[in-house]
Formats: sequence, structure tokens, C-alpha cells
Amino acid sequence: MEKVVQQTDYDALSCRLAAISKGYLPSVAFQVQRCNYHGYKEMHMEYLHSLKSVSRRIHSKIFRAMQNSFPVMNYGTYLRTVSIDIQINDFLKSHSKFQNVQIINLGCGSDLRMIPIIKNFTNVTYIDIDYKDSIEMKRKILDQNRALKKALESDDDGETNRYKLISCDLNDEAQTVRTLSESTSSDSPTIVISECVLCYMDDHASKQLISVVLDIYKTGIWISYDPIGGSKFSDRFGIIMQSNLRESRHLEMPTLMIYNSKETYSSRFANCNVEIKDMWDIFENDIPKEEISRLKSLQFLDEVEELKIMQTHYVLLKASW
Amino acid sequence: MELDECLELLYKGQLLPEVTVRALCFKLKEMLVRESNVVHIQTPVTVVGDIHGQFHDMLEIFLIGGPVPDTNYLFLGDYVDRGLYSVETIMLLVVLKLRYPNRIHLLRGNHESRQITQSYGFYTECSNKYGEGSKVWQYVTDIFDYLVLCCIIDNEIFCVHGGLSPNVQTIDQIKIIDRFREIPHDGAMADLVWSDPEEIDTSSIGHRENFYHESSQQFQISPRGAGYTFGRCVVEKFLHFNQMDRIYRAHQLCNDGYQVYFDGLVTTVWSAPNYCYRCGNKASILELYSKNEFYFNVFEEAPENRLLNDNFNSSITNGSAINEYFDDANNTGSTETSISDVDIFSDAYQVKSASSRRVEYFL
Repeated sequence: MEKVVQQTDYDALSCRLAAISKGYLPSVAFQVQRCNYHGYKEMHMEYLHSLKSVSRRIHSKIFRAMQNSFPVMNYGTYLRTVSIDIQINDFLKSHSKFQNVQIINLGCGSDLRMIPIIKNFTNVTYIDIDYKDSIEMKRKILDQNRALKKALESDDDGETNRYKLISCDLNDEAQTVRTLSESTSSDSPTIVISECVLCYMDDHASKQLISVVLDIYKTGIWISYDPIGGSKFSDRFGIIMQSNLRESRHLEMPTLMIYNSKETYSSRFANCNVEIKDMWDIFENDIPKEEISRLKSLQFLDEVEELKIMQTHYVLLKASW
Repeated sequence: MELDECLELLYKGQLLPEVTVRALCFKLKEMLVRESNVVHIQTPVTVVGDIHGQFHDMLEIFLIGGPVPDTNYLFLGDYVDRGLYSVETIMLLVVLKLRYPNRIHLLRGNHESRQITQSYGFYTECSNKYGEGSKVWQYVTDIFDYLVLCCIIDNEIFCVHGGLSPNVQTIDQIKIIDRFREIPHDGAMADLVWSDPEEIDTSSIGHRENFYHESSQQFQISPRGAGYTFGRCVVEKFLHFNQMDRIYRAHQLCNDGYQVYFDGLVTTVWSAPNYCYRCGNKASILELYSKNEFYFNVFEEAPENRLLNDNFNSSITNGSAINEYFDDANNTGSTETSISDVDIFSDAYQVKSASSRRVEYFL
């Protein structure tokens, strides 16, 4: 199961690369202007390039997958990426530049948002956590690539490196407690990110993880993106998703039909102040007209209905404590 | 190859050789070039909405609605893209039309277009199944240019893929369009295949006056980026002017298989169940016995639609040789597959190539 879950990183990466190659990302309004990300496309191309020398097999798999991307997938990748970037950016902007803020990306995979974030916010420490194999691959790529390595290097005045790559099995409570206690500060305001992570864990393990994290960090926010199975009687999306993934790649989503609505998903963070939206909500209400026009000009989006069905089954939650 | 021989292969989901595809498309062009943009037919007829390459579900339709030529069929377009068997779907329909020209009619949908099929899967599927250098996509998209634009049943039911156009007040205006071309970005021909009805939610409107909302008087820009949305008043005007009773169209995904607008003036028929193998929706075919006797035959996906990925698993036992070309665990990273070494007409190849395009989710 571990390997199967790790491989979902390749899906996420190919989706991101596809969205970048078709022009959906970087988002002008959000990522470039508001979050001040620069060189977004370039850093991803560098990563892809170095991936080739680390693993030709994985590279070719991802390269193939990013060639033919459906508009409905590109829209979804766009929504997922920018909405998390905005949440992070808003939190960081609301804190003083002199206050240390910690960002912990659980199940980080090949995500690269730490690069512009560390650059823009000198008070941020960023910790990437994932399974050992994923972390090792990412470490190799970042080490081998001169541009990326430079972007993540410590500042010249000898400050400790603000970026850490740590391997940990998040299903293992003891290991998680140990890892987080050793490598992170419990006092700093902390942003915890889980982007399609909780969905692969069984109920008990995910409850433990949430409880462990909320226990360790005094204050912060948890940004979580996951699919929900749908709670209406006539809604078969979740059941079909579970069986499609199980049959085609032995990928399980144990809690998809348990936390199947915004309400039930929110209940996982019962002791926090929770804000939750589904991605269709975000598409309809939080994306400005100019961005929508820009997206429309990239590819024909023929099926708005299908986009709605998919996006109403993905949520973005922000829990604060 | 004789048409009946072709049909036998096609009903089994087998691919025809490229040279046969070319010949069949040529013959169909000859037939369709003689047809007007507006075809007139009589009941009884069964109206079918979007199929989108869901070949097994189309076979299900022939089981539920009756086989051609026992049942007359009117297909409203969108035969290709999104599903994994667009090639098999369109070729079966092409040969059925050649074999039984008066029993089956095929309208053009917005996916019967070179531009759209390059983003939505048909082009990729043709390359996968016939090889990078093949011309199958070209032959098929060429015949798309010849498909008729709309159909009138019993002189009073107007059928089109998308909807109405501000550039079309009368049927005669549709007849004079030059349809033998790629679907343009705008104009009457584009609108007919792209437009959508828009029903205002009257339950949320307080005063009676608000019912006669501005937007129902005219066309609005469509969120799709082509065509328009149109309201009740537009429909009433069109039907009155052309002495028609109602409109049947497709184009929009319906969770229940069909969707009624404006008290029955416009109805959407959607025939691709569990769309893209993930939406979980029902589908329907509309059985029209006479002008006013009809039945929405609602159905769910064919077993093969659900067990699509079971084929993936069973084909692994069918031959490890084919596995090596696709099995990522053994792949050395080469993106080139030698087509000549693999039997592209074999079931195993078809299943493998279809399943290598996986059902996609955000993971």
C-alpha cells in the first residue's frame, strides 16, 4: 500500500506539469501578483530535467502523462494549487516578519512551493515530510540541480538552513511524534499542509495524526485538501471513485465514504475553528473574472457539468487553533 | 470488405484495418453530401444523446432500444472523445448508416470537430490504436464535416445537438448554411452545436414580474466559450415561428439521464451513463412512438463500463509479451513502441492501450 500511495505523487506532479505546460499555472493574479512567485515554470522544468537523471523510468512515466491533459483536470489542478498557495500566503502576511513561522508539509511529495516561499519570507522554516523513498528521490533531485540547490541554500550570513527534508511514516504514531518533536519547534506559529494525505490513511491512523499534530504545536493552521465521497443518496461519485482506484491500481481510500461531506470532514478537526469549502465553491466565488477569462482562453472547457461534479467532491479545509 | 462482415467485427468491438476505414469514410461522404442540413423523418424513432466513446454503453442502447434496423434511431451527436472506445463507436455508426441509411440518422455534435478532438481524447486514441503515422483521425474528422446539423420529426419536433442561435429565426436559414467545413468559432453553425437552454429558478423569485426576466428575452453569452444560453421566450418564439411543438437536444450531462426545461418545450437527452467512468450519472434514450407518445428509457452503465479495469487485470494473464511494452515496472524509459511487433487488432492490445489511459482523479 505504501508504494501505491507514494506513486500518487507522480500523478500530482504530472498534473501540475501539465497545467504549467498548457499555461494554467502559474496563475497571474494569484501566484505571480499576490504570492510573488517568480520563475515558477522554470523551477518545475528544472525539477523535471533532473528527475530524468535520477530515474529515467519515473521521468518517462510523468513525461507521458503530462502530454495529454484534459481541460477538466487542468482546471482542477489550478484550483487545488492556487487555493493552497493563497491560504499560506494570507497566513504569512498576517504575521510579523520578525516572528518565526514554521511550515510543515505532510506527505509533500515533489511539491516545490517551498522555493518561492522561503525566498519571499525570511522568517519561515519549511519542513517537507514524506515516506523515505519519496524524500530520498526529492533530495537527490534538489542536490543535483544547481538552480534549485542555490534557491534553497542557507543565507550568506551563516543562518541555519531554513529548509528540511525529513522522512517519516505518518501512519506510525510513535515515529511521527519523535520526528516532529526532534525536528520542529512547538512554539512557533505553524502552518500544517496535507494535500491528499489523510485520504489514504485509515480512520484510526488519520485521527492519531491529527491529534498528535494539534498536541505538539501551540498555535497554527492546518490546510487540508482531500476528496469527499458525497453524502446524497443518489450520488455515486465516491463509490465509483473508490472502486475505480482499487481495481485499476490497488489504491485504497478508506475514509472516502466516512468523511463524505463538508460537515463530516470538518468534524475531524472538532477542537479547532474550521472553515471549509468545496472546490466548486471556490471556482464560482473566489476566482476573479479576469482569471476565469484567462483560463478559458487556454483550452475549450466543454463540460462545466463534469467540472462541477468533480470539484464538488474535493474540499479545502482550514482549521485554526 | 462487405458491410455485413464489417458489422460483425464492429459489434465485437474489433478494429477495422485502416484501409477499410478509409474506404468506408469515402463511401459515407458520397452518401451524406446529398443530404440537406435539415433532415425530415417520421416516428417511430428512438432519439439518442451523447455517447462519447462509451462503446459498451452504446451496445447496451441497442439491447434496450432494439437493434438497427428493427428500431429507427436518431443520434444527436458527440460520438467521440472522453470515453476509451471512440474509434469503435464511430466506426460502428458509420457502417450502420451505410448499411441502413434510412434507419439511422446521425447529427453533428460539437465534438465532431478537428479542434476539440485534439484536446478531448479522440486524436490520442486514434494514435494509440492505429499508430502515430496513421490517417484514421483525418479520415473520420473529414466525414464529420458531412454530418447533418439538425432533424425534424413528424414536421413538428426540432432536434439538434446543442440549441438555438440568434442567427437563426427560421429553418430555412439553417438549410442555407454551408456545413461542409470544420465547425467555426461562432455563427449559426457553431451556435446550433454549442448552445444551452437556461432555466431561471423561479422558486427563488418573489414577484410575478420578475419571472419575465430580461435574460429570457434574449441570448446570453455561454460559459462554455462558444454558443449562447437561451431562455423560454426565445424557445417560444422559435417554435411559434416555425410551427414546431418542441425541441430535443443533447450536449449537457444529466444526472438522471434526461432533463426537461420550460414545461417540456426543450428536453435534453443524455446517453452516456457513468460519464467518463466516474460521474455516476444515469443515461436515457427517448423512445418516440408517435408525435405525442414517448418514453424516456433510463438506464445505468453496462457491466463492461464498471468492469473496465477488470479487463486490465485479466489481460495480464493473456500474454506477458504485450506486458513488456506497457508494464511500467519493466519499462526502461523508452517511449517508443514498435507497432509492427504487436498485433494492434488483438483484444489484448486494445484493452491494454485503453486501460493505459487511466480514469483520472486528483491524487
